[in-house]
Amino acid sequence: MWTRKAAIMLAGGVSLILVGMMISNFQMMIIGLTFIAFISINGWISGQTDLEITRFVPHSNVYKGDLIEVSLTITNRSYRRTQQLEVFDNVPHEMKIRRGINQIRLNLGPGQSTKMDYMLRCPLRGHYSIGPISVRYRNAFGLFVNESRIEDMCDITVFPQVRDVEDAMLRADVPKMYTGATTLRTPGPGMEFYSLREYLSTDSLRSINWKAFARTGDMMVNQKTRDAVTDIFVILDTREVSRIGTVLKNPLEMGASAAASIASHFLKRKDSVAMVTYGSRMEFLPADSGDKQQYKVLSRLASVTPSGSMPLQAVTNSLAPRISRGSPVFIISSLEGDGTTLPAIRNLSGNGHEVIVLSPSSVDLERLVSRIPRMAYEVLKLERQNRLTAVSGYGAKVIDWMPEVELSQALMQSRV
Amino acid sequence: MELGKKQEEKSETLHIPAIRRKWQILTLQLASTFSLLFLLKKMTEIYGPCSDQFVLDHSVDSWCPSYEHTRGLLWLEGREGLLIPDFLLGVNQTGTFSLIGPILICALFTVAIDRYWASTLELQNRIKQVAAGILGAWVILPFLFSWLFATFSNGFHFPWNSNDSMNHIGDLFHPLGLALELVFLGIVFAPILAGLVGIWGLSKRAITWSVGYYIVLIGFHAILTFEPIVSEVDVGLRALPTQIGEGTMYGGLVSPLASSLLGISILLLLFLETGSAAITHMEYAVSLPEESKRDPEYVRQFNNVVNSHLVQLSVVVMLVSITTALALAFDDLMITIVGVLEGTQWTGQVKESLELQMTYGKVISAGLFIIAVAGLRFLIPWQTVSGYLESGISRFRS
Repeated sequence: MWTRKAAIMLAGGVSLILVGMMISNFQMMIIGLTFIAFISINGWISGQTDLEITRFVPHSNVYKGDLIEVSLTITNRSYRRTQQLEVFDNVPHEMKIRRGINQIRLNLGPGQSTKMDYMLRCPLRGHYSIGPISVRYRNAFGLFVNESRIEDMCDITVFPQVRDVEDAMLRADVPKMYTGATTLRTPGPGMEFYSLREYLSTDSLRSINWKAFARTGDMMVNQKTRDAVTDIFVILDTREVSRIGTVLKNPLEMGASAAASIASHFLKRKDSVAMVTYGSRMEFLPADSGDKQQYKVLSRLASVTPSGSMPLQAVTNSLAPRISRGSPVFIISSLEGDGTTLPAIRNLSGNGHEVIVLSPSSVDLERLVSRIPRMAYEVLKLERQNRLTAVSGYGAKVIDWMPEVELSQALMQSRV
Repeated sequence: MELGKKQEEKSETLHIPAIRRKWQILTLQLASTFSLLFLLKKMTEIYGPCSDQFVLDHSVDSWCPSYEHTRGLLWLEGREGLLIPDFLLGVNQTGTFSLIGPILICALFTVAIDRYWASTLELQNRIKQVAAGILGAWVILPFLFSWLFATFSNGFHFPWNSNDSMNHIGDLFHPLGLALELVFLGIVFAPILAGLVGIWGLSKRAITWSVGYYIVLIGFHAILTFEPIVSEVDVGLRALPTQIGEGTMYGGLVSPLASSLLGISILLLLFLETGSAAITHMEYAVSLPEESKRDPEYVRQFNNVVNSHLVQLSVVVMLVSITTALALAFDDLMITIVGVLEGTQWTGQVKESLELQMTYGKVISAGLFIIAVAGLRFLIPWQTVSGYLESGISRFRS
């Protein structure tokens, strides 16, 4: 592609030749011819963009705020010099370059290679792709430009930040009753004896109780009490209203970080965690434990975006058959713009669930981006206090989470 | 040897003070400066003299609006005297010597402008205020003093008077003389000052302005020496010959006139490209963050790019000169080729054709030649050949 300089030079050259011809001036004609000859000779030099580029990223999963080191090795495998190239690695605009730069100007001879290193900071959670790599040939005199792309993509998942809430959980009155594995009075795989029953062909020979066989003459097997863990349900509000605030500080960002931290805390204690997000639709991640579940939870939280206006009661109604009896339920929501909050929480409490509501203060978050008159702020704040008081009136533990307060600090402020 | 080279690369950085001392960048800047100075010399040689008829009608020292400053300054000296010393203006000097003084002024101004741009905004404001103060004092103080002294000796009077000893208004216009001197000097040396500021003060705009000024100047000269214009208004400029002449230089390739005119074009191109190249490379270095400026890979690639630019620049400029010279002689070649094909009426007509050797024929044949040269890139895989050579040499070395 011709640059503006080349176009101006050509137009200037042709004009000088024509005017020179009209007024019989050789100087103008020769300048015009020189300009055109300059463009023609430069046309002989073309860049070589057929490069071998390998990108190395040590971690594809990182936490919000982490740094990623990206390294590109560029090799010219052809038998031609590349000429003046600009290699530019496309980085999502949500990521910020902290060290180095994602471009290099180079001229590689046959077989030569070079390396480009830079460091990215990931201030926002989400799924991102680094790449493709743009390779731009620029004529040494800035007359021609030719751009091509190398479709080398690298997917990066930025998980929400996981805060250490161990201390807060111990000191707060919220989750003390969850002490890891508990036994359920139902038969199943476990350690403790439950009862005897007749042998079935599917039972293993190791489970036969030989003493009972000797006593009764019938093949009997031992049944064990099922070992189970506590199922924790985390419900995260991802409705449109959770967008209020700045890009980095809003109910959804705070909520995602809180959900990740709480889930991580309980999963470390071998409990099962189920994750529910609701906004434009409800997404349910069944209860499970272990590292795999933690990865699933974090991946789910990485991809949530604010949208929709699904009511909380629709979520709790839908979940009711799936929530284990007595399981604690964490609701992380600003509680804004949803008239069904109270009945939903009332139903959950009524069904014997321990309900903990962690509510980022949307009124204070809004103050970060727009100036709210003092009187209006006081009124909004009062409305919010009334709403939280009403929720706590139904037996839920309510945490009013202010933007400047750390999660661990906030968890210790629970009130009934 | 290899280790030493690596250590040298490691100690090299891409900070502007370091880059300004790099031999590649200095070469580009010096090439640009010398091409600008040679351009000035060539321009004064070709566009400096007044027409022979004008000299006959007037005198050798009479002023005509040609590209020569001393004639105008001498005319001014005859009227009011000059404020700037003659040796700095080049007055009473001839040829290249008349250019040395003004070039020194331009160099001093370039340094001053560069320092001014590099200074803080506060200092710039102070300099502006002081300069305005000095100018104001120069305008007002001589007028006030002469009026006051005249009042003591002649009694109170208005500063304008038919009596010369009591007329002081003229003192207000003393600085105008300096302005006029600078105007006469500026017509010739404004593009030199702009060019030097562009090259050493790193301003692409100034370089482009300088090139544009020369093209406009050539255009004005061409129009003012065009026959129908001269018949109406003759300002005494010497016109270029309408025929380029027989090739007698470089093996009959170019005529002396074509060589001079081609020299101006090539110098113009060289000045533009070398000056801009140095700035472009520095702009890239400035855009890099601190870590990359110290990164040996970035330094190595910067050197690669600048070195290849220098090679390409010299080869391309040489090829452009040869191509344009060949293009201008292409009509002769065509006639020679047709002359070989004896016998037909058409060959005879072409051989005798005057049109082919006139302006139109010359330019059209030159255009055809350049198109053919441009098309050769599809036939000659020189980059692949040079690539094989380069890789072969590097393999041999290793």
